[in-house]
Amino acid sequence: MRTCPPFEVTFIPGTAVVRTMPRQIAEGLYWIYEAGPDRVERFELDRRNPEWYDPDHEVYIPQCAYLLEGEDETLLFDTLSPACTDHVLDVLADLVGDGGLDYLVVSHPDVPHAGNAPAILDAHPAAELVAPGYGNDHELYRLGEATHVTEGDTIDLGDRVVEFHEATFLDAPVSVWMTDRRTDTLFTVDWMGFPHLGGDALRFVDETDRAFDVEQFVEFHSRVLFWYQYVDVETVQREVDALLEKFDPSVVAPSHGLVIREDTTDYVELMKDVPGIVDRRGRVGTLG
Amino acid sequence: MSVELTPTVEWLPQCYPHEDDGRNDNDGDGYHEHVSVYLVRADDGDVLIDSGSVYHRDEVQESVDAATDTTGLDALVLSHSDYPHAGNVSPLGAASEDVELVASSGSPAQQGLPAARTVSIGDQERICGRRFSFVDPPLADRSHTTWIYDHVDGVLFTADGFGAYHPPEHCEATAADFEDGIPTEAVFEYHRDNLVWLRYVDPGKIRRALDDIFGAYDVTAVAPVHGHPVVGAAIDSYLDGFYDAAERIADEYEVDV
Repeated sequence: MRTCPPFEVTFIPGTAVVRTMPRQIAEGLYWIYEAGPDRVERFELDRRNPEWYDPDHEVYIPQCAYLLEGEDETLLFDTLSPACTDHVLDVLADLVGDGGLDYLVVSHPDVPHAGNAPAILDAHPAAELVAPGYGNDHELYRLGEATHVTEGDTIDLGDRVVEFHEATFLDAPVSVWMTDRRTDTLFTVDWMGFPHLGGDALRFVDETDRAFDVEQFVEFHSRVLFWYQYVDVETVQREVDALLEKFDPSVVAPSHGLVIREDTTDYVELMKDVPGIVDRRGRVGTLG
Repeated sequence: MSVELTPTVEWLPQCYPHEDDGRNDNDGDGYHEHVSVYLVRADDGDVLIDSGSVYHRDEVQESVDAATDTTGLDALVLSHSDYPHAGNVSPLGAASEDVELVASSGSPAQQGLPAARTVSIGDQERICGRRFSFVDPPLADRSHTTWIYDHVDGVLFTADGFGAYHPPEHCEATAADFEDGIPTEAVFEYHRDNLVWLRYVDPGKIRRALDDIFGAYDVTAVAPVHGHPVVGAAIDSYLDGFYDAAERIADEYEVDV
């Protein structure tokens, strides 16, 4: 295993692409980041000017993947999008070195989450493809031959065990969440995402210059979980309580936001405010 | 094969056979789910709505070839980039010089569709000379999904909404082939399994959203990817069944605290 390269952000001139080297969250847990396009114009942020926005910055809703390294084996959770194929292959090669990748887990078969699976499996032919056991149409996603995991299934990477869970708030029925037992990290996939300012790429939430605003959660969920506008709000709030009782994680690692490692319970609690706000205002737009 | 729904819209049905899983009414005989596409004969060319799954690649290609006398498409419009809807973009020649690709996406490169002309919910566009509106879909799972309304024949293409499972003998049936309408149980099972968020739904809210759409557009036919097409008066019957299904899905779900 090679040492993770230093944290570095590269803005590519003349493009909307921001590429970064991965960041180590904890020993053997790496955060691989894809910024995606600057959202200021499409989200009409200059006109809407939400409290969390700063017109001097770009705004990103990232696509994140996570590499977990145990004593014996390695596991990649999600693949980044097809806009970043070369980037994720380069980063992965650097992180796993000659040992190669052992497991590729796709949280769900959405293009930005799973679109590089064929390229990664080509580059790491010994890797085992792991997919959600939920849903009933895996062959439509070329996941029929994958190893299917459901609630309570585990993979032992050596001195690190990951556990899989039925996804609670999701888009695709073929979805799964994951926890890393060593660091008590919950990978929430499409839940608890949020936009961040350009200068905060790959920062932990506690490292950003501005205090977190619940409206950042609202901006994301009123697009991605647009159906919050059609729900019974109290039922969703009870579901968040149930999640806290089940997990109460030390770290939350979303696919579309920055990693939360301090006061994590408070951020999960904050998610109880979101469906009510979306219910009152309706969806603000789309993402994807 | 193709089934004419309206004077210039055809259904090109494809089916995915599910294995029995002990959860559905048709267990024992297997149950099927449509993964269909639709062909619109526009004034200036043939427009395909969605492209089907890689699982049906050869069949979709053959259907399109047969429907177009092998001249191929002039445009492909994607409701969203989910693989069962966008699995055959390249084989159908879309995003080439000859076949325009239109997709609802704010970040097409991340969706694997860098060459697409992008549209958004609320847009109205002419494609091959035909006017389409892109509608905010209450019954969907992916954020960037749009329903697509055809202003000429009044067909509403509803992507993941308005689905239903069916037994193997009903693969080519439209709603008109069911004496008592599409079975409510099949509507319930489809939506329970595929629009998982309906377990939290407030049925009144979803009813109001659908009422708004059917009030705003003169819909003569509903064209789902995962169900039987519904034409004319059968739409109200389907909606009644769906509202019952939504209420039942919500009632049967209990938060496990």
